[in-house]
Amino acid sequence: MSINVLMLRNLRKNIRNYYLYVFALVFSVALYFAFVTLQYDPSMDAVEGSIKGGAAIKAASVLLVAIVSIFLLYANTIFIKRRGKEIGLFQLIGMTKNKIFRILSAENFILYFGSLILGIAVGFSVSRLILMILFKIMGIDAIASLRFSTPALVQTLIVFFVIYLLIMLMNYGFIKRQSILSLFRVTSTTEGNVKKLSIFEMIIGIAGIGLILLGYSISSRLFSGDLTSMTQLSIAMITILASVIIGTYLFYKGSVSFIFHLIRKKKNGYLNIKEVLSLSSIMFRMKSNAILLTVITTVSALALGLLSLSYISFYSAEKNAKLYVPSDFVLTDIDDAERFKEALVADNLVFTEKKTEVILVDVNMEKVLGETPKSSGIVSKIMPLPVISENELEGIDVSPDETYFTKTSSALDNLISLKDEGPIEFKGTHEVIPQTYTTINKDAPILGYFTGGGLPVAIVDETVFERLQNNLDPALQKKSSLNIGIDMKERASVEQANDLFQNMNFKKGSITDSQLETKNNQKQNMGLIMFIVAFLGLTFLITSGCILYFKQMDESENEKPSYTILRKLGFTQGDLLRGIQMKQLFNFGIPLVIGLLHSYFAVKSGWFFFGTELMTPMILVMLLYTALYSVFAVLSVFYYKKVIKESL
Amino acid sequence: MAILEATKIHKSYGNKLNKQSVLSGLDISIEEGEFVGIMGSSGSGKTTLLNVLSSIDQISNGSITIEGTEISNMKEKQLAEFRKNHLGFIFQEYNLLDTLTVKENILLPLSITNTPKKIANEKFEHVARELGILELKNKYPNEISGGQKQRTSAARAFIHDPSIIFADEPTGALDSKSASDLLNKLSELNQRRTATIVMVTHDPVAASYCSRVIFIKDGTIYTQLNKGEESRQVFFNDIIKTQGVLGGVQNEH
Repeated sequence: MSINVLMLRNLRKNIRNYYLYVFALVFSVALYFAFVTLQYDPSMDAVEGSIKGGAAIKAASVLLVAIVSIFLLYANTIFIKRRGKEIGLFQLIGMTKNKIFRILSAENFILYFGSLILGIAVGFSVSRLILMILFKIMGIDAIASLRFSTPALVQTLIVFFVIYLLIMLMNYGFIKRQSILSLFRVTSTTEGNVKKLSIFEMIIGIAGIGLILLGYSISSRLFSGDLTSMTQLSIAMITILASVIIGTYLFYKGSVSFIFHLIRKKKNGYLNIKEVLSLSSIMFRMKSNAILLTVITTVSALALGLLSLSYISFYSAEKNAKLYVPSDFVLTDIDDAERFKEALVADNLVFTEKKTEVILVDVNMEKVLGETPKSSGIVSKIMPLPVISENELEGIDVSPDETYFTKTSSALDNLISLKDEGPIEFKGTHEVIPQTYTTINKDAPILGYFTGGGLPVAIVDETVFERLQNNLDPALQKKSSLNIGIDMKERASVEQANDLFQNMNFKKGSITDSQLETKNNQKQNMGLIMFIVAFLGLTFLITSGCILYFKQMDESENEKPSYTILRKLGFTQGDLLRGIQMKQLFNFGIPLVIGLLHSYFAVKSGWFFFGTELMTPMILVMLLYTALYSVFAVLSVFYYKKVIKESL
Repeated sequence: MAILEATKIHKSYGNKLNKQSVLSGLDISIEEGEFVGIMGSSGSGKTTLLNVLSSIDQISNGSITIEGTEISNMKEKQLAEFRKNHLGFIFQEYNLLDTLTVKENILLPLSITNTPKKIANEKFEHVARELGILELKNKYPNEISGGQKQRTSAARAFIHDPSIIFADEPTGALDSKSASDLLNKLSELNQRRTATIVMVTHDPVAASYCSRVIFIKDGTIYTQLNKGEESRQVFFNDIIKTQGVLGGVQNEH
């Protein structure tokens, strides 16, 4: 048999072993190629031009290469280990290491570049779909047409050829390092020796949990006002990162086995099959994979966190726009407003108009600022707040010594935490008017331009308003003190009105805003970011899922003798499978839960900068992630089923 | 009363065109409380015999009854059920689960049958003391010696009082001291618990601990030796002699 025949036979025989490797490869190539095609596509210019999207996409593609190459290299280490025996045999019959390497490389070459071509084909066909999704998310009305892009092809080929060289280099190292004897033993020496739990490990276990909890507790106080200066804030952030990551590592290294050890100890040696297969095996294996699991957990937490945050802001785009621009259109100049109204009338569009006079007054809030330390650098005791008269709002009647506050934005609420009621002082130029205020459940009725994007609006009695007006500090006032809100009668005519609004030539420097436009802008900005993050998140999800799956394939082969013993003892396949399901629940579940927890606390500490809704978007993202992730756990159970069946 | 009765068992591998017969019409009967050794050269089919007797492998033809139950046509699930109640195993490679402690390994067969914890503990103490491994109960298999591992394996086989214990080359991986230790323990347990033991071995010393030794050649029984009232040394010499007659390839010329 010539070498070529040998090689081809090998390939045919191994293709079943490799099918997941091929899948992973095709998948990564497809993803990368689709991404690069988008990058080079002229129809993306609109997207890229808008917000420096080009740079974002480029950065993302670099990250994508990093993820994909780490993943492929890792997959390769697992698969070459499985070929150890074969390599040993070749050596035994007198083949030189170089020749073996050549065979392996040629084999790999066929497999690798076959998948590469397949991946490019898949990538090309899905890239149009992806582009359509992107346009849909961003609300761009463009037809997603794609042409085959040669630079994208060249770039993909170069990147994956370099990865191929790296893989070959690794294989070469692997073959060079091995002696015949060690090759025969290679699969049995991969996992660490089983030893008793030492006191040191118990300390590590407790420390791991402690560090994670410490990180969580700091993160929940990050923006509560305790930390004021920038340096303090960044120190706190670094502390959180370090303690959570180290904690996660220690958790896998010690805590898991420590907790499982406690459970086992309680059983006093009497374990049922589920515990035999899950507790005892995971206890030792998690320890030896601590670094890998830490990386997987950290990065999936990162992906989840970013995904949640960008989805939060996408999801809250409408609400945010409503908060910032409370009417369909808001203008601040009378002439502009008149001209816009004329245009609306000319097009037979029905609308209502509401003029609100807004003045800015310094307010002494010393006694009502929450637990914020008095020395706080971010918030001062005296803040200029927008003030409007009670007459501007229907159904609100305030007594002369009383003030109502509208709701503050979620970000500000978290930063300064005002009390719900209390005494304040309006500081005019000549007099100080003391008032008690109550916060009412009402959003600010004026443009965010006046409220600085989130400060409460003070609603006062007409007489107080007049007194304040006579006492104005001109330095505080905005260019205009008029908020002209225009609301369309028919929802359907908003878009038409918006077109008119965009085509008006308003006075230079005058402030105007359209709710629809604000919303669309935010959706476009966040849409691209969300798309990129989702793309990376998906890649990461699938690669880490595959890595865990490969790991399980490996483990199932190693544990095959145990299944033989157990079946001889009288456990049925069903018994074993139930145990395996339990084991996979832990194996996949522990990193998932930790990742979810990490991202939950990360998102919770700063979500209010991104939007107005926390729970709904975050839970949606997490559910989706969990569902996709579970696919790999289910797949691995199927693989185990096969191994168990073959074990007797 | 015969606890195991096998009649005319055939076992062959391969397909119709290329058949390789391993067991050809073998009859065997084992009484309660016996300590039977099965000997034979490599490839004589002794391990296959043990596998089919212990329901791990299916026979092609014939019948096997253990305690009056026909096992040759049972379904996979029934077989598992049968194994967990009636059979115990000791293997050459110990076959302990590395991730479990000695005690957990030994208690495995009881956990399948959902034995109450208290009874399980009593049984454990009893059998572990008999085999002298009680103080090792919290150690992991890779922290103890080969002989101790094999005694753990034996304890696991005895703990649920099975009808028959099958041992496949139990001394194969042990040094002579540990081997004789283990065999002494096995014959002690055989007598004290009237446990039935079927042991495959090619070591004449190990076989000399048995009460009866069956010699297998080319898939059939070649001869049997009964120990009777002889001393172990005499029995050993008999075994060696028989093995000498049995062994080797016959001269065709």
